[in-house]
Amino acid sequence: MAHARWITGSTLTLVLAAAGCVGNLSDAPGASSGTPPGVVGPDPGRVTMHRLNRAEYNSTVRDLLGTKLRPADDFPADDYGYGFDNVSDVLSISPLQLELYERAAETLAEEAMLQPTASLTTKVEAETLKGTVGNATDDGWLLFSNGDVPLTANLPSGGKYTISTRVWAAQAGPDLAKIEISAGGVSLGTFDVKGTTDSPQVVTVDAQLGAGSKVVMVSFLNDYFDKVTMADRNLYVDWIEVKGPVGTTEANPLRARIMVCDPATGGDTCVRTIVQTFAERAWRRPLATSEVDDLLAFVALAKADKDTLDAGITLSLRAILTSPHFIFRVEKDLVPTSLMVHPLNPYELASRLSYFVWSSMPDAELLQAAKDGKLSDDTELEAQVVRMLADPRADALIDNFAGEWLYTRALADHLPDYNAFPGFDPALGNAMREESRRFFSEFLHGERGIGDMLSSDFTFVNDRLADHYGIDGAAPGADFIRVDLNTDQRGGLLTQAAWLTVTSYPARTSPVKRGKWILSQLLCSEPPAPPPGVEGLNPEPVQTGSLRQRMEAHRADPKCAGCHSTMDPLGFSLENYDGIGAFRTMDGKFPVDAAGELPDGTKFVGAQEMAKLIQADPRYGSCVTDKLFTYALGRAPEKTDKLFIEHIEGEFGAHGSKLKELIRLIVLSEPFRMRRGETEPKGGQ
Amino acid sequence: MKPGLNVSRRAFLGGAGVLLALPALDSLIGRGALAEDTVARRILTFYVPNGIHMAKWTPDLTGAAYKLSPILSPLAKVQKKLLVLTNLDNQPARPDGPGDHAGGTSGFLTCRHVVKTEGAGIKNGISMDQVAAGKLKASTRIASLQLGMDGGSSIGDCDSGYSCAYARNISWASETQPLPKTVSPQVVFDLLFDGFDPEATAADKARRLKYRTSILDYTLEDAKRLHPKLGVSDQHKLDEYMTGVFELEERLHKTNAGAACSTIPRPPEGLAYPEKVKLMLDLMVLAFQCDATRVISFMMGNAGSGRSYDFLGITGGHHEISHHQGMQDNFDKLEKIDMWEVEQYAYLLEKMDAVIDVNGKTLLDNSAVYFSSELEDGNAHRHTNLPVLLAGSCGGSWATGQHIAYPDGPPLANLFMTMLNAVGAPVSSFGDEGTGMLKLA
Repeated sequence: MAHARWITGSTLTLVLAAAGCVGNLSDAPGASSGTPPGVVGPDPGRVTMHRLNRAEYNSTVRDLLGTKLRPADDFPADDYGYGFDNVSDVLSISPLQLELYERAAETLAEEAMLQPTASLTTKVEAETLKGTVGNATDDGWLLFSNGDVPLTANLPSGGKYTISTRVWAAQAGPDLAKIEISAGGVSLGTFDVKGTTDSPQVVTVDAQLGAGSKVVMVSFLNDYFDKVTMADRNLYVDWIEVKGPVGTTEANPLRARIMVCDPATGGDTCVRTIVQTFAERAWRRPLATSEVDDLLAFVALAKADKDTLDAGITLSLRAILTSPHFIFRVEKDLVPTSLMVHPLNPYELASRLSYFVWSSMPDAELLQAAKDGKLSDDTELEAQVVRMLADPRADALIDNFAGEWLYTRALADHLPDYNAFPGFDPALGNAMREESRRFFSEFLHGERGIGDMLSSDFTFVNDRLADHYGIDGAAPGADFIRVDLNTDQRGGLLTQAAWLTVTSYPARTSPVKRGKWILSQLLCSEPPAPPPGVEGLNPEPVQTGSLRQRMEAHRADPKCAGCHSTMDPLGFSLENYDGIGAFRTMDGKFPVDAAGELPDGTKFVGAQEMAKLIQADPRYGSCVTDKLFTYALGRAPEKTDKLFIEHIEGEFGAHGSKLKELIRLIVLSEPFRMRRGETEPKGGQ
Repeated sequence: MKPGLNVSRRAFLGGAGVLLALPALDSLIGRGALAEDTVARRILTFYVPNGIHMAKWTPDLTGAAYKLSPILSPLAKVQKKLLVLTNLDNQPARPDGPGDHAGGTSGFLTCRHVVKTEGAGIKNGISMDQVAAGKLKASTRIASLQLGMDGGSSIGDCDSGYSCAYARNISWASETQPLPKTVSPQVVFDLLFDGFDPEATAADKARRLKYRTSILDYTLEDAKRLHPKLGVSDQHKLDEYMTGVFELEERLHKTNAGAACSTIPRPPEGLAYPEKVKLMLDLMVLAFQCDATRVISFMMGNAGSGRSYDFLGITGGHHEISHHQGMQDNFDKLEKIDMWEVEQYAYLLEKMDAVIDVNGKTLLDNSAVYFSSELEDGNAHRHTNLPVLLAGSCGGSWATGQHIAYPDGPPLANLFMTMLNAVGAPVSSFGDEGTGMLKLA
């Protein structure tokens, strides 16, 4: 759990200990203890063979094939270890997972080799469908109140589709009838229906859809009925049509990537080149001749089965994508049981680098640098880091590292209670996440140190989020703009809605969870968990005090006071932000008190003053170092990493605490570039 | 909360405009394997998170004359095929200090006390369903299915220093290998019907089988060559891979052979939560009906789920409410949530009871359908007096239609031993404290 191993003397740590809140603070996170006997040289640790996690799988096939498919979205969720889902020790493979790999390989290879196909049109009369309300009429489906007419369409392949529906309305009331068209549960737009019985109208919308069964739906959104005048607005759907994929009559660009030569003229040599080129990219290393021979056996198999050459190449692609060399990042020791420390081979290092910065495979330039033996040179390695960070693929650090570090990934699954927060919807959730993404990106690429993250006077908003924050100056429309903040209400990470929301309960804030987030994610001093049966605070039917007052009463229990006297004040200082991060001065009918006092008497009021406290805490910088180190290597820091991490941390601080500097330092470190064998399994029995 | 985004499952299943051509039954399903194995026995385990409000759960009377409690009232139609088992304990599930949700969930089917870790060195035990699968898989294409509703949203450690592996998985293939669940009805459908193409000819199918087999043979050989070149920890990972390849290859050569198998179109995406739950339950019945598998575990939520039940008109997250602290308001909410959970279980049982199996009994009669939670009471976090239901008699292995209250708190593991015996996979001990079969009378 807690990562507070060797660092001592910081304010909050001492405060936690003094308050009787120590738990496992002195334990190393990993299970191993000290340098194993027999390790020669400073021990760089050992990374267990790493299976691609879901994010890595999706971005790897994107970069390898150019596909828009995201097969890993259907894979079972990856388990987390030490706060990240790229920790190789906990990334396992179940039989289900294996079957999904095999299926994904088939789908991906077939999509990549697909020859252009003609578009199909499916048109269904609505009276043959079954709407959720209303009834069939002679020539359509009548929706007499809000409801849907769903059509299940089986799409032959992914691509652009055109969806049309012929509708008309019995108009009544002040507005025109309004419909929404959706596919697979995703809204494609809402439309006013001007058409009437005499002049039906066809509404058409384009959509990018994946292959398979999709529910295409026309929904009536604004039923109207006036009891006095009997004015009644109803919607009629005549037919729904799905046409596509549109535009695949042009060459398949995915295929062009694979067919690097023309077998019609190049013969067997060309086929060998095609298979070898693809395999070397997919496996991120050169292949032995015998390995290529083995793969070409699939071309021979198809031929023997009187199947096409295309089918043979497709088979070999499937084999390449199902192989352990694709699914795992294989790193080898000359002698697996030898503890002799040695550098990674250049291709292994290239993969470590690309999966750290891009969550994806190395590109051609990086593989070339590996081939040329350049990656053993510090300057070249640094140049690659700079180049890769400038590439859009480095956004993976935002989505995967920051998304997990700052918990913003959890927004996708967080469901605020509708009754408590009717203003929350997916669009607002997305806006929160986008703010967080752009904000982190500024610190990833810019010249600011991580200290500024807590006290910045700018952020990024669209109109929706600006409205949520109650700030002016944001342009209406969809895109985000950078805004300067001239208010005490907002500024810095601590006042951003994304993390404030996901650390709340569905119906209220949780000062405890917020305090715990600050301690565990920013200071790496997670307090021990509560004893059984005492966690939680009940919601009340009739509020008897502000949440804060009720928690303080709850905390009178000495069993709880030890940790909560530190955790809660941190959370209390954020009570001006409700369960979806909106600013408030009242908690129900009680005024918010955002003052906090730590057990040692340190006093602060509100987010800004607390931010200063964290900024001044040396544990903040070391915590960020620990988190990024864990993510970079996909393993927990061990005791043996102590000197390496101390060095990185020192240099990081000395270079202005910039994240790009930290990335460079980690990449140059020995744990990142070296490895050794092992004599017994990790966490051994 | 947009009404337009809640695709109706009923509309999908009942829609007349479905475009996917459905094959005639016999062309899809191979016949055979019935003679030697006339009564297929099945195990299904149904997990709900955060415990149960026991005051409204436990029936007043015991024996056959018992009355269903308010929370159990949705089970009226299947009461005669149900056992309510009171006072079973799962003591090993108690964690080291806090972490009861993870401890109770990891031990839900293993009855083991797990090693507390966030990552390296995960250790549980084999789960009851997997012991059953070891025996029952010989007759079916799919050894077992692990299904659930929630994927992996939990960020950070899942429960007080316990890895998420403990909080998200109830099926464990071995001490170290959790079996993650699939939460996508589309994927479940594909697993059941194996990428079925209604227009494929016999020759097409034979060729596809040959190609898939050759790819798996190749990857297995490839893995075998790699194996000796790796460290021990790496070899463990590769072993999992190789097991997966081996099992898939076995699966390819078997076909679904159920007595009353019929299919549905590939399910749509974007269903609202309650609809999606029902769809998963439909797919489970289908899996049994087609005899695609005889072992299913289902998690209707992960350990300590904070799901909002606003569709029941309830404000607050489930976990938060389950820490009821004796408040009547919370009891009322828990009663509603728990009753909704039991309604889903009842829906499943009624559907299973409507399908006639090969021996003239229903699917439910020939199955053991276990229902429980990772805890007793969500506030007290107890692992004793668990809320346990067992439906179906597993082919007449025990008398149903009773409420049995055990005076001495026997280990839950003993019930699992009884269930394993009923499916023909007897064991002499189970988990940390299972020593003999529990009498269901």
